[in-house]
Amino acid sequence: MNTVSVRDMLNDKREDGEYKIPFLVVCDAFHSETTAFADLVLPDTSYLERHDVMSILDRPISEFDGPVDAVRIPIVPPKGECKPFQEVLIELGARLKLPAFTQKDGSRKYRDYPDFIVNHETEPGSGIGFLAGWRGKGGEKNMRGEPNPRQWEMYAQNGGFFHHELPRSYQYMRNWNQGYLEWAQRNRITRYAEPISIHIYSEVLQKFRLAAQGRTEGRQPPQHLKKRIETYFDPLPFYYETLESQLTDTHKYPLNAITQRPMAMYHSWDSQNAWLRQIHAHNYLFVNPKTATAQGINDGGWMWAESMHGKVRCMCRYSEAVEPGTVWTWNAIGKAAGAWGLDADANESQKGFLLNHLISEELPAHDAGAHLSNSDPITGQAGWFDVRVRIYPAGAEEPQQTSPQFEPLKPAPGMAQKRPDWFAFFAGKGDWK
Amino acid sequence: MSQLALVIDLNVCVGCHACVTNCKEWNTSGMAGPLSDFNPYGAEPTGTFFNRVQTFEIGSFPNTETVHFPKSCLHCEDPPCVPVCPTGASYKRKEDGIVLVDYDKCIGCKYCSWACPYGVREIDEKQKVMKKCTLCVDRIYDMGLPEKERKPACVLACPTSARLFGDVHDPESAVSVAIRENSGYQLMPEWGTKPSNHYLPRRKTQLRIHDDELVRADNPLKKERLLPKPDKSAPSLDDVTSW
Repeated sequence: MNTVSVRDMLNDKREDGEYKIPFLVVCDAFHSETTAFADLVLPDTSYLERHDVMSILDRPISEFDGPVDAVRIPIVPPKGECKPFQEVLIELGARLKLPAFTQKDGSRKYRDYPDFIVNHETEPGSGIGFLAGWRGKGGEKNMRGEPNPRQWEMYAQNGGFFHHELPRSYQYMRNWNQGYLEWAQRNRITRYAEPISIHIYSEVLQKFRLAAQGRTEGRQPPQHLKKRIETYFDPLPFYYETLESQLTDTHKYPLNAITQRPMAMYHSWDSQNAWLRQIHAHNYLFVNPKTATAQGINDGGWMWAESMHGKVRCMCRYSEAVEPGTVWTWNAIGKAAGAWGLDADANESQKGFLLNHLISEELPAHDAGAHLSNSDPITGQAGWFDVRVRIYPAGAEEPQQTSPQFEPLKPAPGMAQKRPDWFAFFAGKGDWK
Repeated sequence: MSQLALVIDLNVCVGCHACVTNCKEWNTSGMAGPLSDFNPYGAEPTGTFFNRVQTFEIGSFPNTETVHFPKSCLHCEDPPCVPVCPTGASYKRKEDGIVLVDYDKCIGCKYCSWACPYGVREIDEKQKVMKKCTLCVDRIYDMGLPEKERKPACVLACPTSARLFGDVHDPESAVSVAIRENSGYQLMPEWGTKPSNHYLPRRKTQLRIHDDELVRADNPLKKERLLPKPDKSAPSLDDVTSW
């Protein structure tokens, strides 16, 4: 969000000439836009070069018939000076002597990330750790049990995952299944063995609302937020214009603007990949032909999209699959010139663009405050889809290039300066031939 | 005589391109590789792919459809690319009907790509030879692989199972059944090429809601009452059921 201002903030200086952010460390597996602002870059590994867990404590990959968790085990050694970021965090925890990473005598508790994963427990002696499989001294227990020093090997022998199959009667309608709920409580998956129902009328929201109305004892919201809480913490669902729309001149900015990930890059944030970028090297703003022709914008023509926060120049693509009051584009294809190991004239920077320039992280100043987050008042979900825009054609004299543009990033030390025009990738024979 | 082919369900394809990248990954390192890329990290990157997905829209708003249309060599029964080849590099295998190019004989004259009405042959501008889908001939007969993996890379990659692979001459094969029962069709049959690959058509889904389905006459809230609990010593569901 608000990408141009964030660049300024990262470089902002105090009156005495010192940077407001005195030291910036960026850990990244790629030469991204952010690394250019760093005092120190820690080169991260790819997922193929490190240990990882899809932990039961976070978002496990469970199946309907029981909990499942999984691990990644490196298949190639880290390249160059790369180090998995989780190892950096474990090292920091130990050197800063944070209690969770330190023994009673002050010495370090965990050798490295794999050691941390095996031996960390949610509380001392709880028998619950990151991984639910092959717990207990010899790997004889699951879900709960003492740390098992050979847990990683046992996961590796089982193809990298653990699956606990529940008794058949526990497998269905689990939000109301008494047997399941009691099992889940005993294994600390849920806190209460009570039925779990969706609240159409939410007592929790009503509690906040009553407080905002001054009808409860105890904590009260600050005066300037009372109206906002009373309005939006409604115990029953209701429709309202997004907060940003309510604060926008929608006669000036009538259109909604949204983005989505392209299917071909759905789980990939490194879309500079040589093959993926042949599928989408740059993006267009998709506009209903009625909406575009009303503004005199041609299919494939250069145009501006402008919100109250900023504007981008991009190319238009007519689409009958978009509603006339909305425009949209693929996200995370636009890149700064010279970033991500791409040439400075690559399509991503010259024809690709980000809608992020039009979106602000804060709502405009209004009676609830000057610095309120642009996010959903209940869940805090960022208001990515709330921006309102207008569109108009770019002038014939303007450069045929997306805007804004930034000074091309210089290569980092050790990066290849010039690569051959032709590449042919070949599995198992090094990077390329 | 068997004829191996793909059957692609356009009603199921979501345009994720997993078939495109998995095809390139297998084939660039296989018998038909490499699949070269030009300017892979520069302006206007381009390269050789055996399989591409074309996306287009049908109709006008609000009655619009977005169609994702995967395209690769159709392994025609009467392939127009074969007789025009001056060196005999393009050929159709008798045993399984796969159309292949012998790179050692190919001189890159491109007659075959002019003859192909489907535009599915790709000249490799680096190696100067014509390349195309091989139906992964270097893996479908590989006895070193488990049987379920002896399929083209695109079929194995498809997350929605929109791609089927098999012998279209065997009337009992899964592909023949799919073609027969789901109105499978060939592309541009008027050219007389008899494409072996088939496509299954888009199917319209219509939402039908009747008024009497919106309000329930037998509202269960009126019928539910607390019933006496079973005795604690009574056997549980797992005790009395052999699942």
